[in-house]
Amino acid sequence: MLLLAGSPKRLEESDSARIGRALVDRLERRGWTSEAVRLHAAVRTEEDLRELLDAIDRASVVLFAAPLYVDSLPAPAIRAIEAIAAHRRTGSVSRSPRFVTLIRCGFVEPSQNDTCQRILQRFAERAGFEWLAGVSLGGGGRIPKRVREALDVLAEALDLEILVPDEVERLTRKPIMPSWLYVVGGNFMWRRWAARNGVKDRLRDRPYALDS
Amino acid sequence: MMGKKALILDGGLADGALTRGPGEIAADVLRRAGWQVGALLLREIDIAPCLGCFDCWVKTPGVCVIDDAGRDVARRMIRSDLLVYLTPLTFGGYSSELKKALDRSIPNISPLFRLVRGEVHHVKRYARSPRVVGIGVCASGPTDPEEEELFETLVHRNAINLHAPTDGATVICAAEDDEAQRGRIEQAIVGVIGA
Repeated sequence: MLLLAGSPKRLEESDSARIGRALVDRLERRGWTSEAVRLHAAVRTEEDLRELLDAIDRASVVLFAAPLYVDSLPAPAIRAIEAIAAHRRTGSVSRSPRFVTLIRCGFVEPSQNDTCQRILQRFAERAGFEWLAGVSLGGGGRIPKRVREALDVLAEALDLEILVPDEVERLTRKPIMPSWLYVVGGNFMWRRWAARNGVKDRLRDRPYALDS
Repeated sequence: MMGKKALILDGGLADGALTRGPGEIAADVLRRAGWQVGALLLREIDIAPCLGCFDCWVKTPGVCVIDDAGRDVARRMIRSDLLVYLTPLTFGGYSSELKKALDRSIPNISPLFRLVRGEVHHVKRYARSPRVVGIGVCASGPTDPEEEELFETLVHRNAINLHAPTDGATVICAAEDDEAQRGRIEQAIVGVIGA
């Protein structure tokens, strides 16, 4: 399995990569081997990009794990899919690795990832991957128990090469808390974070206002 | 209407051939409607990727901690009355060149949350926000209805988060003649700025 991590953060600091890694761990326990590539680093030079394309050519399953940025993928992750698609259109690749996505947004509703998931599904189809499943996760704290259960089900399906059961979506589709509660808790968290930096009273600053 | 400012964010890749013509048409349509038009060829502007650190929200509110052209682009974006997202249609979404600027524009909204039609979104930072028009250009025709719908959805989702008062989008095909392209671009722009 090849884990493509779309977050700018290091693998161990990124929530989406950490959850992707949790799926990889489950498969490694079943005897799979894995590689991981940080897309932000992979698109910096032609040589890094070449290594990314080679890793994809070796993979039987590609897990694309990324955070949601402005309703889509972070720019370097888009740069990567542009390059991957161009490479795979050259006709020199004949295999169709299976393709799974895991997108995590900072809002509580996993459905806010839908547009990004559709973009990735179009990419997978255009670039000659076999689309298996798109797992959408909302924000908020640690990996919930039912997401861990979903990863168990998904790992088993990948290992047995069977269709991904609807249970994966059922377990991940529901927000972990009501939206109103997420707003209250999230705003508390932002204010506390700003207070630690000594800017609690500046959260609403408007540095680019025309009168400033 | 005189004096309103539009900013075209040209996310064309490589030599920019795909977006150059549609960008010129959009600029012409806007100038004829009395708008001041600025344009940024993003592939020629060195903008580092967003780090996802949130410092622009909780450490230096409203300003990205990366001191490069990304700050200038974000400033110009929020000071505009209309943003034109011009991009090669990339699997129904934006090109990496356009997205590098959009990712760095998040200092322009507040980290704080609010509910919009029952869904969590961010609070406004500024009293006024630019309108948004998306123009997606596909390299070869005919346009794919699913990707067209996807692009329109993406622009609209962005507009919600940006607090754009109005938004719209269109997809054109590079193989179409200028007249057909102009018709679609004009319709999308007029739909957002008014006749």
